[in-house]
Amino acid sequence: MVITTHDEKIRTARFKVDDRPHIVVDGEKCRSCAVQSCVTVCPANLFVPLDDGSVLFNYEQCFECGACYFVCAEEGAIHWTYPRGGYGVTFRES
Amino acid sequence: MRIAVCLSCLPDPETVEVDPLTGAIDAGRTLYVLNPADAAALELALRLRSDDGTVRAVTIGPDEAETVLRDALAVGADAVLRVWEDQRTATRPAATSLLLAAALSTEGLPDLILCGARSLAGGSGKVPALLAERLGWPVVTDVLSFELSDGRARFVRRLARGARSEGEVTLPAVLAVEAGSAPLRYAGLPGLMAAKRAEIPVRHLPDLGLAPMDLAFPSATAEAAMPPYPRPREIFIPDSASAPHERVAQILSAGVAQKAGRIIDGSPEELADAILAFLGEHGLLEEPA
Amino acid sequence: MSANANGRSERFDVIIVGAGPAGSAAALLCARAGLKVLLIERGEYPGAKNVSGAVFYGSAIVDALIPNWWEQAPVERHVCRRDLVLMSPTTAVSLDFRSAAPGYVAPPYNAFTILRPKFDRWFAAQAEAAGAFLLTSTVVDDLLWEGSRVVGVKVRRDEGEVRGDVVIACDGVNSWLARKAGLQRELETHELALGVKEVIGLDEAVIRQRFHLNGEEGMALEYLGAVTEEVHGGAFLYTNKTSLSLGVIAQLSSLVEHKKRPYDLLETFKAHPAVAPLVRGGTLREYSAHLIPEAGWKMIPDLYTDGMMVAGDAAGFCLSTGIYIEGINYAMQSGLAAAEVAIDACRRRDFSRSVLRLYLDALRRRNVLTDFQAYRHAPSFVNGERLQNLYPELAALASEALFRVDGNRKQKLLPLYWRSLRKVGGKPSHVLRDLYQVTRAYLW
Repeated sequence: MVITTHDEKIRTARFKVDDRPHIVVDGEKCRSCAVQSCVTVCPANLFVPLDDGSVLFNYEQCFECGACYFVCAEEGAIHWTYPRGGYGVTFRES
Repeated sequence: MRIAVCLSCLPDPETVEVDPLTGAIDAGRTLYVLNPADAAALELALRLRSDDGTVRAVTIGPDEAETVLRDALAVGADAVLRVWEDQRTATRPAATSLLLAAALSTEGLPDLILCGARSLAGGSGKVPALLAERLGWPVVTDVLSFELSDGRARFVRRLARGARSEGEVTLPAVLAVEAGSAPLRYAGLPGLMAAKRAEIPVRHLPDLGLAPMDLAFPSATAEAAMPPYPRPREIFIPDSASAPHERVAQILSAGVAQKAGRIIDGSPEELADAILAFLGEHGLLEEPA
Repeated sequence: MSANANGRSERFDVIIVGAGPAGSAAALLCARAGLKVLLIERGEYPGAKNVSGAVFYGSAIVDALIPNWWEQAPVERHVCRRDLVLMSPTTAVSLDFRSAAPGYVAPPYNAFTILRPKFDRWFAAQAEAAGAFLLTSTVVDDLLWEGSRVVGVKVRRDEGEVRGDVVIACDGVNSWLARKAGLQRELETHELALGVKEVIGLDEAVIRQRFHLNGEEGMALEYLGAVTEEVHGGAFLYTNKTSLSLGVIAQLSSLVEHKKRPYDLLETFKAHPAVAPLVRGGTLREYSAHLIPEAGWKMIPDLYTDGMMVAGDAAGFCLSTGIYIEGINYAMQSGLAAAEVAIDACRRRDFSRSVLRLYLDALRRRNVLTDFQAYRHAPSFVNGERLQNLYPELAALASEALFRVDGNRKQKLLPLYWRSLRKVGGKPSHVLRDLYQVTRAYLW
C-alpha cells in the first residue's frame, strides 16, 4: 500500500508563487459561517479554521481547482481568480 | 551606456528529483528556469538603461536555453545572443567564461557586464571573476545594488554575517549581482508577443574564432567521496584564576567570543604582501622553490 | 518594432482561450484553414494546469487530423482491458472486459492512457506547427466588447488587449469567460465533482505482471461503492508506462454534506483490499486535483453569442454516466466544431450569432450534443443514493453468500438476492423504480 501524508502529496507539485494572492478570503464572513465548507473540500487543505471562528487561508500551494469558490457561492466570502500567467501550480505528470 | 547581461537556463532545483536507489535524475520531471541571480542582474540592467543605452542578453547553452533569451526580450532587452557548440553537453566555469568573453568581444565590448553572483545549479560563483580576468577588467562580486555615474559604478556588496561594504569601481567592469536584489518585471503583452516571434541569433565556436580544443580545460576529477570527519572540538574551560562569578558568567556565555581579526592598513602592494605573508604563515601557500 | 510585431495594433481572426484538448484542436483546424490564430494558455506550458484520469477515447478524432498520431505522441498504453468494479468495504465484484478485437490490441487503437501535461503539450505543439500563435504564461481576465458583440480578450499583462473576430472560450470547468459573457450561470455544487489523483511510480515489468498485460497494453479500472464511503462518486485506476494513475472523484455537494476530506477518501481507496495489492511497492510521483463538470445535458450553457463560442469543459462537455466517463474526446470534438464554424464565419465575414448558431449543428454532426442528449438522465441516476451505496453493497453481499460454501443448503439465486437486498435495507419497489431509470437512462 502506498500511504502518503498530506505534506508528501503537496511536495510533489511545483508551485511558482505569485507575490499577490489570487484568492482572498473575507474572514469576517467566515465568522458567521456555520458550515465552512471550504475547510472540508480544499484538496490542498489550505483553509484552517481558527479559534475565533474565522478561517485562515494560505494561497501559495493552491491547485487552482475552484472547489472553494463553488462551495462558498452563497456565503460569498471567497474572492477568486487565477494567478497571473506563468505562476501558481505546475503539473508535470497528471 | 551599453550593458551586457549574462543569463543561464537552469533546472529548477524544486523539480530535480533523484532516484534514491540509482541516484539517477528523473529528466522527465525537471523544469528549467532563468537563474534567479541572473534575473536580478537583468532587472538592474533594465532599470539603469539610459535613453540612448542598450541592454544585451547573452547565454551559453543548447536550443532550450533560448527561452531565457525570449524572457529577456519580453521584458525589454534590446538584443540577445546565444552561444553553443552542438556536441557540448555541459560547461564548466572556465569554458563558460571563455565563450562569454569571446562572444562579447566579437559583438563589440559593452561598458558594463552584469552577471548573477552564482547559479542555483553549481553555485561556485566563478564565472564573473574568470570573465573579468579574461577581459582584463575589474570584478565586483556579491553586489546587492549599485548606481552609475561618470563612468563609475558605486556599489553595495554583501559580506559575511549580514555585513555590507560600499565601494566604487571604474568602468568597464564586471558586476556579479546577488539573487533577490531586484525582482524581474512582468512582461507586457506586446513585448511577450514580439519576443515569441523573434529570431534568436546563435554563434558557434568558429564564429568566435575558437576551436573545440580551446575549451578543453584540465579539470578536476573526483576519485572518491568521503563522509566528513568530525573535528575534535575544544571544550570550553573557564579560567580557574578568575573569580567564581566571572567563571559562571564565562560558562553561561558558552565561551562565545568575538573572533579575532586583524585589520591592516597600507598601500595595495603592502596589503598584498601582508596577505601573502599571512597565508604563508598558515601553510596555505606553497613555498617558492 | 514593426507594426505587425506589436500586440496593440495586431488583430487575429480567431482567439482561443485555453490550450487544452478543446483549444488546441480548434487552433489546429483554424490554422490549417489559413486563419490567423492566437492560442492563449495561462500555464507555463500547455498541460501545466490540466488534470484528467486519464483515458483518452478520442484516438479516431486525432487520427483524422494526424494519421497514426500515436506513433509520435506521448501516449502511455493502449487500453485493452476495462474493469467495472462494485465495492463494499470488504469485497469487490467486477465486470472484467478484455479484448483482442480490432482497436484493442492493434492499430488503429480505440483508447490510450495518457498523462495530460505531456499529451496536451504535444497536441498544442501540433497546432503551433500548423501556424497557430501559442502564447503561454498568460491568463485571460476579461472579454472585449463592442456593443453586444465580443471583439477580443483582455489578458492580465500591461497593454493586454488583443482583438479577434471570433473568441472560442476553452478555459475549462471554471470558465470565467462563459460567465462574463452571460452564457453560463453560476454552477451548483451537485453539478461538480472534485477529482483528487495520484500518479504512483511502478516498475514496468511489475505493471505488466500485476495487470496481466503484454507490451504496451493497458488497463482501466473504474470503481463504484464503498470507495468513497457515503460520499457520491467513484474511483479509477489506470496503467501508464511506468506508473499508475489513480484517484477518487467525489460530488462536491456530497463532500460538504458528509464533511469528508477528498484526500482522506483517496487514502481509503488505496487501502481497500481490492486496491492495495495493485499499488503495493509504488512511490508517489505527483498529487493533483481538479473539478469535473458532471451534470451533462443539464449544465450545458448557451454555447454561443455574437463573436464568441464555448467549448470543452467550459461548455460542460464531460460525459459521466457510469459506463462512459469521457471528456477529452468531447472537448476535442467541440473544439473542432467551433473551429469549423469560425472558419465558415471568417469566409462570410459575419460573426454574428446568426452564423455562430451553426455551432449547434456542428456539435450534433460531431455527436457531441446527440450523446449528451441521449444520456441526459444518466448523471442524476449515477449520483443517486442507491446506485452509489446500496447496489454495490448488494452485489458484494450476494456474491459473498453465493461463493461461500459452508455445508449449508445451497440457495437458488432469486431467494439469495432477495435476502441480500433485505439485508442491505433495499426495497423491491425501489429496485423496480431503478430498473425503469436504467431503462430510460441507458437502454434506448
